Amino acid sequence: MTYTTGMDPKGPIPVSLFFTCLADAFSPGVCTATVEVLERFGATVRVPLSQTCCGQPAFNSGNRKEARAMARKFLLSFPDDGPIVTPSGSCAAMVKHGYPVLFRDEPRMLARARAVGERIYELSQFLVDVLGVTDPKSDFSGKVTYHDSCHLRRGLGVIEAPRKLLRAVPGVEFVEMEESDRCCGFGGVFSLKYPQISCRMTERKVERILATGASYVTSGDLGCLLNIGGLISRIGYPVKAIHLAEILAGKNAGRGDAG
Amino acid sequence: MVNERESLFRRLSAACGGRGAAAEEPLPGGAPMAPEGDRLARFAETFTAAGGFLLRGPVEAAVSDLGEMLRAEGVTALFFPEDDAAAREIAEALVPFGPFHLTTGAEVRGGSAAVTAGFRSAEAAIAETGTIVETSAGGKTLLPGLIADVHVSIVPAALVVARTEEALAAFAADPPRNISFLSGPSKTGDIEQTLTVGAHGPKKAIALLLG
Amino acid sequence: MELNANAFGRNARKALLDKTLQEALGRTTGRFLAHRDAAVAAFPEFEATRERASRIKRDALDHLDTYLARFIEEAEKRGAIVHVARDAAQAREIAARIARDEGVTLAVKSKSMASEEISFNEALQGAGVTVVESDLGEFIIQLAGEAPSHIIAPAVHKTREQISRLFERHLGEPRTDSIPELVRMARRHLRAKFLSAGMGVSGGNFLVADTGSVVLVTNEGNGRMGTVLPRVHLAVVGIEKVIPRMSDLPAFLRLLPRSASGQVISSYVSIVTGTRRAGDPEGPERMHILLLDCGRSAILEGKYREILKCVRCAACLNVCPVYQSVGGHAYGWVYSGPIGAVLTPLLVGLPEAAALPDASTLCGACADVCPVKIPLPDFLLELRSDAREQGLKTPGEIAAMKGYAGVMKRAGLLEAIERIAGVLGQFFTKGKGIGGLPYPFSGWTERRDFPAPAAQPFRKQWKIKRGARG
Repeated sequence: MTYTTGMDPKGPIPVSLFFTCLADAFSPGVCTATVEVLERFGATVRVPLSQTCCGQPAFNSGNRKEARAMARKFLLSFPDDGPIVTPSGSCAAMVKHGYPVLFRDEPRMLARARAVGERIYELSQFLVDVLGVTDPKSDFSGKVTYHDSCHLRRGLGVIEAPRKLLRAVPGVEFVEMEESDRCCGFGGVFSLKYPQISCRMTERKVERILATGASYVTSGDLGCLLNIGGLISRIGYPVKAIHLAEILAGKNAGRGDAG
Repeated sequence: MVNERESLFRRLSAACGGRGAAAEEPLPGGAPMAPEGDRLARFAETFTAAGGFLLRGPVEAAVSDLGEMLRAEGVTALFFPEDDAAAREIAEALVPFGPFHLTTGAEVRGGSAAVTAGFRSAEAAIAETGTIVETSAGGKTLLPGLIADVHVSIVPAALVVARTEEALAAFAADPPRNISFLSGPSKTGDIEQTLTVGAHGPKKAIALLLG
Repeated sequence: MELNANAFGRNARKALLDKTLQEALGRTTGRFLAHRDAAVAAFPEFEATRERASRIKRDALDHLDTYLARFIEEAEKRGAIVHVARDAAQAREIAARIARDEGVTLAVKSKSMASEEISFNEALQGAGVTVVESDLGEFIIQLAGEAPSHIIAPAVHKTREQISRLFERHLGEPRTDSIPELVRMARRHLRAKFLSAGMGVSGGNFLVADTGSVVLVTNEGNGRMGTVLPRVHLAVVGIEKVIPRMSDLPAFLRLLPRSASGQVISSYVSIVTGTRRAGDPEGPERMHILLLDCGRSAILEGKYREILKCVRCAACLNVCPVYQSVGGHAYGWVYSGPIGAVLTPLLVGLPEAAALPDASTLCGACADVCPVKIPLPDFLLELRSDAREQGLKTPGEIAAMKGYAGVMKRAGLLEAIERIAGVLGQFFTKGKGIGGLPYPFSGWTERRDFPAPAAQPFRKQWKIKRGARG
């Protein structure tokens, strides 16, 4: 088991929660599920309430001035040490990879951004790679397929951790979909700028999901799930989009906050 | 125009300026490890995988099969370079397996309508990729591998090298006008992504491995 | 080629509705990808070779002044005449002059994307030269009067039926649905051209500095025909194609065919150096090399230098879910897919192509497959930022961004808005999703639901549960 510097492996692990603006406003169940799971494995979760948004939509659309303002606030919102855990692959990737780009001309901010980037984790990554969790102890049940969100897989290199956790839930019948790592078409502002192309990509993702016969599609990124879930619910397919944190937390109450 | 050249290099120097000498560190990913085992067996594998047909010598043993293959393609005319004794030997040995007659590269280039087979000795062959190497060095012709419908390469086993690097090294110092790597027949996938052989170059590539 | 990049949105929508195109795209990209993946899996040294190629290209670009000078010197030593064109107009003028000076009336051309940049064919036709495209895909679209829609498979968008109709109309050939028969027709027709053309025109996959050689990587054999038989050979090549040494070539020969179409090697690799030597039975008496700057030296100078490493394999096109959905024509210029989304704005100017860097979800699949490790997603992000700096964003978008950033400045303000939105949202949608939103969010809700804001945002719930200390 690896711990970040200074933590006592036998004592409670202090973790800061970065709960993301999207989940905060549209799917708070994802945030509470994340807290529940972290506490289950010995973390004491602090929730700095001055956090707002990592700035990803501004950065991705080329609006770096606004992104920088939000990034500065983000970096000030979290304590100086300890792991920061978020249920969002894309937000973690933004801090890790996007912040150094934003601050490349400001050495002090760059150093701080890099330091924070070293201790930010997506949830499944933290559970498996840092806490060494092999069994999430979830009572979730259902046939589940997993969508590799682009920033979690390619940005952070997290591929196996979510799968290990899902496979370890006794009630989950896990099935891989074809093209699990193909983009779902969300891409943040892309879904608004080029909605027809975006939808075409989402349709293809949904086809692959339906082909598995799964009742649930899950992922480590809420944006993807709102996108996929939004198409599914408009058409009325018998699949629910549910966030990985909610599966790991357990209690199969059809709690598809994500659509 | 010399002026335009000068002005280009001014722009390039400004863009590249002050970068110092090229890096000296060794680069990764050099010639892959020469695989264990028979270079010739490997060449047979890769040449076939590239769509070529391999026959083993000596000439007497192969000539009947070769004749059959050429007849199947509708070949009637055979040509070879004047100065290529091995190519001449095989072409002449094939005539009885015909209906074949001998012609010249010049006639084929002039637009002869016959279905042709062009014979030529390879200058090297590459086991890594299944490649025949032909060059214009020493005034050699490239017509057999260029305009024939069927290309027959005579490949002495001793000239089969393991990797691309070795084939290039022989010619790199002062290259002739043309170094050609030929790996199988000419191909295209441009129509509906369906692989078809025989675009502009030869429709069939045959290698006769001698020795 | 005519530029129409800013019509990307409109053209993409058209492409999505074109059933024939959609089928062709699916088939083409699927096959290329499957073959590429198989070839890469069977080549254990792939990653090491990628790193090698990337470093060779970086070295070549970092010292392009030195290497290009060496290339010119070596090529001229061996009889080539080297020309330099700053821009497309100059390139056209030089090409026409070469054809006139050499007394050429028929030119047979093998594939060159760079020649599309400068509208080469029109230039020669203007000088009274007939130009025949010999690459089968290019030949087909030349007959159709269209532009290529994929870097290595220009006619991917055409069915055999469409092609047969073209051959019937333009070549007088009988209708057929046999692909081998169609290929034979093209072969017959083009053979005659190769044998009688005064000039063969080629592109260049690589320019080898230490020998002055031009390297052509092809499958059809037309590149060879055109550079061996005619009296004159004209190679049109971008200055960035230089590699330092002949011994650098094998790494690229290992990567390019695998990345493009999953082949271990293409059917033909031709390394041509200078004019025919005394005693050669074939070969051009005259060789011209037209080196194109056309915006490349400007790219070299800036932060996008690495884009010049591109070897035009089109792997990024094949893997891109956006390209797979809309095809090449939607990108409105010579280069499409991820490479096109970066290169086009850099070569033609961002204002003329600002739609392109936005045509991506930044999924990163392209960076995974690029054989020379070009950081395409980073460049797309950079271009989007450049667009803001150059005043190319709509006032609406800027206002929205400022508004959003303004809200995010203060957690208290954000919470207040969330709570109001929560109350309103729950009231109007009664807990179900949102079916319709005004522009620009209508893009989403036309086909997809969106959840109503939660009755209580998480931050409020947390405060209640755990107290304001958090």
